[in-house]
Amino acid sequence: MSSDRTLAPNSLSLNDLPWQIKYSNDRCTLCGQCTASCPVKAIELSVFQKRIIKTSVNQNQDHSNQYDTFYGIKQKTRVENACIGCAICTFVCPNDAITPVKNPGLDRLKFHINQQGVPRRRGGRRNASFSVLDSIKFTRISMLTDPALDAGRHEFEMRTLLGRILSPRENIKRLREKGWIPPVRQIYPMIIGGMSFGALSPTMWEGLQMGVAYLNEELSMPVRISTGEGGCPPRLLRSRFLKYVILQIASGYFGWDEIIHAIPHMKEDPCAIEIKYGQGAKPGDGGLLMWHKVNKLIAAIRGVPQGVSLPSPPTHQTQYSIEESVAKMILSMSMAWGFRVPVYPKISASSTSLAVLNNLTRNDYASALAIDGEDGGTGAAYSVSLDHMGHPIASCIRDNYLNLTKIGKQNEIPIFAGGGIGKNGNLAANAAALIMLGASGVQVGKYVMQAAAGCVGTEEDRCNVCNVGICPKGITSQDPRLYKRLDPEDVAQRIVDLFVSFDMELKKIVAPLGRSTSLPIGMSDALGIDDFNAAKRLSIKYVV
Amino acid sequence: MTENKFIKIPGKKGDKRIPSRVLEEIIHQHVKEGHTKLEIEGYGQHGIGGRLWKIENSRIDIRVTGQSGQRSGSLGNVNTHIEIMGPASDDIGWLNAGANIIVHGNASNGVMNGAAQGKVFIGGSIGARGMTMTKRNPRFEPPELWVLGTAGDYFGEFMAGGIAVICGHDADYSIETLGHRPLVGMVGGKVFVRGESQDFSQKDAKISLISDEQWNWLLVNLEEFLKKINKKNLLKSFSQRSQWQLIEAKSPYEKSLGSEKPAMSWFREHVWDKELGRGGLIGDLVETLKGTIPIITRGDLRRYVPVWEQGKYMAPCQAACPTGIPVQKRWNMVRLDNIDEAISMGLEYTPFPATVCGYLCPSPCMASCTRHTSYMAPIDVRLLGKVGENIKLPKSGQKSKKKIAVIGAGPAGISAAWHLTLQGHTPTIFDSGDTVGGKISSIIPDSRIPQETLEAELKRVKELIPDIKLNQTINSKSFLQIKTDYDFTIVAAGAKKPRSLPIPGIEKAIFANDFLEKSKKDKINPGKNIVIIGAGNVGCDIATEAYRLGARNIKMIDVQRPAAFGKEREDAEAIGATFRWPCFTEKITEKGVELQDGEVLKADTVIISIGDIPDLDFLDDNIKKKNGFIAVGKYFQSSDEKVFAIGDVAGLGLITDAIGAGKKAAQNIDAIIQGKEFDQEEILPQIDKQRINLEYYNPLNIADNIADCGSDCASCGQCRDCGICVAICPEGAIERVETDQEDFEYRVDSELCIGCGFCKGACPCGIWDLIPNTPM
Repeated sequence: MSSDRTLAPNSLSLNDLPWQIKYSNDRCTLCGQCTASCPVKAIELSVFQKRIIKTSVNQNQDHSNQYDTFYGIKQKTRVENACIGCAICTFVCPNDAITPVKNPGLDRLKFHINQQGVPRRRGGRRNASFSVLDSIKFTRISMLTDPALDAGRHEFEMRTLLGRILSPRENIKRLREKGWIPPVRQIYPMIIGGMSFGALSPTMWEGLQMGVAYLNEELSMPVRISTGEGGCPPRLLRSRFLKYVILQIASGYFGWDEIIHAIPHMKEDPCAIEIKYGQGAKPGDGGLLMWHKVNKLIAAIRGVPQGVSLPSPPTHQTQYSIEESVAKMILSMSMAWGFRVPVYPKISASSTSLAVLNNLTRNDYASALAIDGEDGGTGAAYSVSLDHMGHPIASCIRDNYLNLTKIGKQNEIPIFAGGGIGKNGNLAANAAALIMLGASGVQVGKYVMQAAAGCVGTEEDRCNVCNVGICPKGITSQDPRLYKRLDPEDVAQRIVDLFVSFDMELKKIVAPLGRSTSLPIGMSDALGIDDFNAAKRLSIKYVV
Repeated sequence: MTENKFIKIPGKKGDKRIPSRVLEEIIHQHVKEGHTKLEIEGYGQHGIGGRLWKIENSRIDIRVTGQSGQRSGSLGNVNTHIEIMGPASDDIGWLNAGANIIVHGNASNGVMNGAAQGKVFIGGSIGARGMTMTKRNPRFEPPELWVLGTAGDYFGEFMAGGIAVICGHDADYSIETLGHRPLVGMVGGKVFVRGESQDFSQKDAKISLISDEQWNWLLVNLEEFLKKINKKNLLKSFSQRSQWQLIEAKSPYEKSLGSEKPAMSWFREHVWDKELGRGGLIGDLVETLKGTIPIITRGDLRRYVPVWEQGKYMAPCQAACPTGIPVQKRWNMVRLDNIDEAISMGLEYTPFPATVCGYLCPSPCMASCTRHTSYMAPIDVRLLGKVGENIKLPKSGQKSKKKIAVIGAGPAGISAAWHLTLQGHTPTIFDSGDTVGGKISSIIPDSRIPQETLEAELKRVKELIPDIKLNQTINSKSFLQIKTDYDFTIVAAGAKKPRSLPIPGIEKAIFANDFLEKSKKDKINPGKNIVIIGAGNVGCDIATEAYRLGARNIKMIDVQRPAAFGKEREDAEAIGATFRWPCFTEKITEKGVELQDGEVLKADTVIISIGDIPDLDFLDDNIKKKNGFIAVGKYFQSSDEKVFAIGDVAGLGLITDAIGAGKKAAQNIDAIIQGKEFDQEEILPQIDKQRINLEYYNPLNIADNIADCGSDCASCGQCRDCGICVAICPEGAIERVETDQEDFEYRVDSELCIGCGFCKGACPCGIWDLIPNTPM
């Protein structure tokens, strides 16, 4: 920085940055690996001057000023080069000479990430670490009262149903009359939530799909994965693995003409069709894949030309009411596969979710309802949407489930919960809590990225640069120089690890409840919380 | 006290069943009394036969008739021998610590649960969870369970030691000999089973070969077992080795190897890629190669690449110089010991390197010097200018037949004619005055420049440009004639007409140029008191000249903050001239200057110095004007394409502006003559000063000689050839390469470079940059 610099409103010092590089000149070998690998070019080699003053109190001896130079790593303070805390520098440093440290409270950068009037956009999820799900305890431990089960030795069937289950009377009536029975899938209760091919890198996407295929074919775990809105690679559409896939359609309809072209060639029906109306991370916003991420590959899969931005409208454009949405979208998607495939909408958790659910209950083409809470992740959204918009998942799921019980349909239309499950690492506990609050299963995305690919993003606002395609782990980048860092095989293996260990943890939770053959959906008498208001709101026990 | 006969203990007293607690007391009482053979007629009492600890080393025999009840022989001790004459209830031998128990019938659930020692022989089948959680204490022999028939579900759950032998006699082959899911959680022990068992937990246990030693042990002990349960006749049919399996716990190491699920790499190759096709998910769309790339990459895989940008940017000094002198290149020559060349290079750009660069120019180059960014003194270009007065003439270019008229022998006209001559054209200069040099010779005071310097440079000009016509009448007629006679005409007539004020008494004042022209020849006596209206640099020149001629009370007034700056202002202040503003002149009287507020500033001489405007009366109407000046395009071409206008006729400016304009106009004319588009080298952008590293220089140093100036010049955008980049590169990827024309460049070996940007960070001159690699 020059001496004659002046002060501008966005002149920041190192002290103002959210992440500060702690660097030791003594340990540094000047190998260049940190500056070569920093995704945001937050650090650079710099020349430093050192003044050596030699003085003497003796009258006849001269004083001297000598100047010496030395080299070291310097952190840039420009807004666009602010360190994101990903610590790839620490990762590559052979001498542990460098590491980013979170600025405890002096971060002024947030006041400046709106240059040229563009508010901050980022990836990740709501930057708040608290989750009410973490406070929910499983308080109904049957030791002597019920035959307690052992998670390790008992045979558990951790399965849930995705599809519309008719009432027994209606079912028998239709059987007798040879009427249409809605398709129902028996699946694993944790679904990998929609993350598009485009938001994710090709290696990440392939790794997820490969892991899911392995879980199904080698471990007989019927795990399902949603494609997100970005189409589906043609080879997958024409493979038997398609049955493990939930195809998502959203307001941009990207890739859907390619899916239609592939329908006659499909060996298997997809597991289900998810109609995305909303996303918990950015309620009311459509997806946006910026043009520079739309390379040849993405263009081919989404069925668009290269190098164009791909915005999705905030909502499906030809639908103006819930009734219309249900009638048009659910019916036409059901029709596409001859009414053999479950079709359900995914909405962001909202105070209006009940209205959607009530409508779905009246239409037996609607197979389920997926609700995505405010803590859901995204590849790109405005920070204001991420941090301040949306509805917590717990009370939303609870309201919807209790509404179903009120109308006696709690066993007929499954609700799937997503958004922030496992955000503090408590994947199985959060999932089980939601299941006992009334969800038939959960959708998980961000946790999968963290566990299966080593995503370093945190709610302390670490990294979160998924939107600009410079992911240091190669998870959300379309640049081969980055995504080739990730081996699909490793991701697949971690997916397997993740599901198998989740399975054990889920069993550890439900076994003491005496459940082994059916999930404790809505078994809220097993739940307690040490927050009186939360207990009241969720209609669960207040325990202290 | 020993007895050979069993003492009978009834489990009933009359019709009433004796409670378990009381029966236990009775048994213990008998033992205390020394009885060692007890026959108990059970009525389902709990735990008959265990816990006979008082019999330390002597044997005790318990025979149970009737219904034995739950947990018979539980917590049993060594030397306890129990024989149950019928079937046994739950948990027979529970937590057995050494008792031998024979059951002549079936036993229900939980046989031997938690046992650590002792042997249990069942002459029938057992229920669920037999031999569960058994363990072996190394201090003792392991527990043993012998079962004639089959075992119920969850056999051997969490079994941690001991030996179980399940003979499978009379097994119902629709069920497994070991029941449903045996050996879950097994960590130790052995199970010999006669018959099939596939449902056992493969995660925990494995089938092993029966060694000869084990087989012999089994045969010997089988005989014992069958003898105990009175089924010796079965020995032969049980003695077929092929019917037996040994199931053992896996070792922790074997468990760590995991299940026999295929490796993901196998799955990828044989399942995934096989179903999807070669290259997997997107193998049909892009080339996919297996494996990963490292974080630190070389060659095409680098995210950023360094570029050596020698000559891609203009140094700030050159960019600031209206004449466009590449100052940094001249200092580079100085560093290379080509001082003469560095000096004479000036003449390629200006006819007045000494006069203007050395003395008269306010040196915008120095004002923009990058060193200012670190508050270091700029490199003194004037030193290089001043030594330029005696350089020899540069060579003229190849002679062309094009004739160009230049009207005005001031700095602009001379510059144009100079460059036209160097290009080989033949200019003719016309001037209405009697001296060459325009304002430089006629108006600028001698104090600003040594006369010998000016004369030397004017002499050089006259040598290069022989055809200078002085005392010419320039009017519309002669101008038209000139235009006809010459291929191109350059108007460089200057701004000689003083700007006036519409106030009463203006005729009593003298205009600046008239005053300076006269003062230069000492032909004016200004008196003691003078007022200069217009406090710019020319006003300052007037003040110093007036002082030289005897004036003492010198007031400089202006309507706004005085524009005077630099040396001129300092000189004026030094002789005591005072600046006053804002002052609005009402009129000029005999007494002096009367301001609008009534104040009278006493003056013997009033000088108007509010600027000059060109006299353009001689121009024809084809030449468009704008605000009193000739309207020109980018390269000084007027609306008449054969006529160019430079210097003050086109807009007031510094001498260096005029010289630069002359050069550009000449270059443009040369390009037109050659039929080319004039390609201005100025299109090079100025280098970002942030790229320069000033840390290499001593900030206290003020270079006062040419050599020091050369070494202290930061050489912005001009490679110093210091080789620091070669030294700093952690991969040894940079090499200095000699190129054709005695030039050099620094090259990067992309196969070594990791794109760290150290070259950029260390470069003193800002030559290196780090740019994103070409997208893949």
